[in-house]
Amino acid sequence: MRYVIIGASAAGQAAAETLRQWDPQGSITVISDEAQPLYSRPLLTYLLSGEIRPEKVWLKGADYFQEWGFEARLGEEVVQVVPADREVRLASGRVCPYDRLLIASGARPKVPGIPGEDLEGVFTLRNLADWRRLESGLEGVRQVVVVGAGAVGLKTADALMRRGFEVTLLARGAQPLSRMLDATAAAMLMDAVATMGIDLRCHSWPVALKGDGGRVKKLILNSGEELPAQAVLFSVGVTANVDFLEGTGLGDPGGILVDRKLRSRDPRIFAAGDCCRPHHLLSPGQWPYHIWPAAVDQGRVAGANMGGGSRLYPGLLPQNSLSLRGFKIISGGLGPHDTKDCEIVAELDQSRGHYRRLAYREGRLVGLTLVGAVAHAGIYFQLMAQGLPAPEPVTPGLLWG
Amino acid sequence: MKTVIVRPERCVGCWQCRLACAVEHSQTKDLAAALGEGVRPRPRLRIYPGRQHLAFPNKCRHCEPAPCQAVCIAGAIHRTPRGTVDIDPGKCINCAMCAMACPFGVLTYASLYKAPDHRAVALKCDQCPEREAQGRVPACVEACKVGALTYGEWQETQEDKGRVLAQAVFASLQSPRETEPSLPDNLRVWRLLS
Repeated sequence: MRYVIIGASAAGQAAAETLRQWDPQGSITVISDEAQPLYSRPLLTYLLSGEIRPEKVWLKGADYFQEWGFEARLGEEVVQVVPADREVRLASGRVCPYDRLLIASGARPKVPGIPGEDLEGVFTLRNLADWRRLESGLEGVRQVVVVGAGAVGLKTADALMRRGFEVTLLARGAQPLSRMLDATAAAMLMDAVATMGIDLRCHSWPVALKGDGGRVKKLILNSGEELPAQAVLFSVGVTANVDFLEGTGLGDPGGILVDRKLRSRDPRIFAAGDCCRPHHLLSPGQWPYHIWPAAVDQGRVAGANMGGGSRLYPGLLPQNSLSLRGFKIISGGLGPHDTKDCEIVAELDQSRGHYRRLAYREGRLVGLTLVGAVAHAGIYFQLMAQGLPAPEPVTPGLLWG
Repeated sequence: MKTVIVRPERCVGCWQCRLACAVEHSQTKDLAAALGEGVRPRPRLRIYPGRQHLAFPNKCRHCEPAPCQAVCIAGAIHRTPRGTVDIDPGKCINCAMCAMACPFGVLTYASLYKAPDHRAVALKCDQCPEREAQGRVPACVEACKVGALTYGEWQETQEDKGRVLAQAVFASLQSPRETEPSLPDNLRVWRLLS
């Protein structure tokens, strides 16, 4: 059996390793447009801040592919997948025939599409190459604007702040992380962000970038205000890397639609990670959720199914952890906008900076936000993931250990 | 694999294991000296009010496969040759992903003298590797006076527990049914709080 895996990050690598267990003999080809073995993308903001040294981002050694017996096509770009011929065509002209194909090509940052985006000094942060470009572009920079106050935007703003830049962070809505946090948790986060010295602007987004000599000089806000900036970093979401599927009808920029076995409409083609749109555990519909642990999970399921197994992906449970200089938030399940019909139990311990918000629906836990004391998050997520009847909400204040 | 076996029905919640654990994970490994250390040593296990028992000791189970290891974005969590799941303080970035994944909620985040710049890292039971090298049992097991924490092969313990359970079921079928004794108020309330 010939297996081909497009993408060698979290999902691709987890799938390849699982596949090797299911089919010790099969030939497994891993294609990646990056020239190095697995590294941790979530660590890039830590790399930017200087908290870790560059060698710490590597998760696997240089001889990883050899060790596992994978054929690696590194630094090669996929230009087309032809399901009719069961072939993957690479930019180098090489053709990889497959019996089973996994697409784990991930996603790339979106840019809002405003004038001036092509100026020098405009960045995104997604992979190592982006980080290198950003590092070399930060020379002589004093003021940075980070556009988009999601998890990546917040971490990046914090990292730049630690490096001594003047950082302005733009949030489109009334608060950062609006899909994850209710107003109380967001207020605590905004306090923490303010303490770090980051200038957080809500209800703000850029309408244009102005440059001088090809280099960005200022950013014009929706309010008309002009922010001086020598560097602008966009973290306004991602779009799936599925250009090579054009004409096959398998994928669109939202991602590849997959069934419970993580198979696309073509039974020989599977998808996992940021480029796919999986089922969700607590809500109907399929949409992508970009987080490392989910990609690893999906990679394992897809890998097992490619190797002849029959594993069902239980559905994605949105969850994320944000840690800014010891200030921790873990949130997951249904967000504040989806829990309007739920029973909410919320308790706030202002003196210790702890907050807990639980959302119950029909006797089951469906939403969680923990601020400050996050140690027990995993227990709540287990309750959610297994759909266990949730015990009566406990007397407030007694479980803070 | 040898591991710490927890018998919550025996635990009286005295916290001596917590004290012993903190001392074992201090720089000096001495109670009096540990109190004066710059980085306060932390216990790696917790005792909760229990639902069926008086108290419930909770610590890392060294799961196989380990959910915390799977989600660690820094590659800091690994399995040691002796079978335990270990966190490398040099690699941990205090991101709390492991807290999100651990189904038993055993992780804490605090400064550690072993970590670079004494920064905060994820802490959990490491089953006292230095003691094991000396042929001693983990600190919490040594400290436990009521046999709630013991050290042994988990497979053997599982068989023993199964046998005890089977005998109890058999005995209960033979003896006339007893009514449940009423509990003192303070115990009842304590259990309600879990």
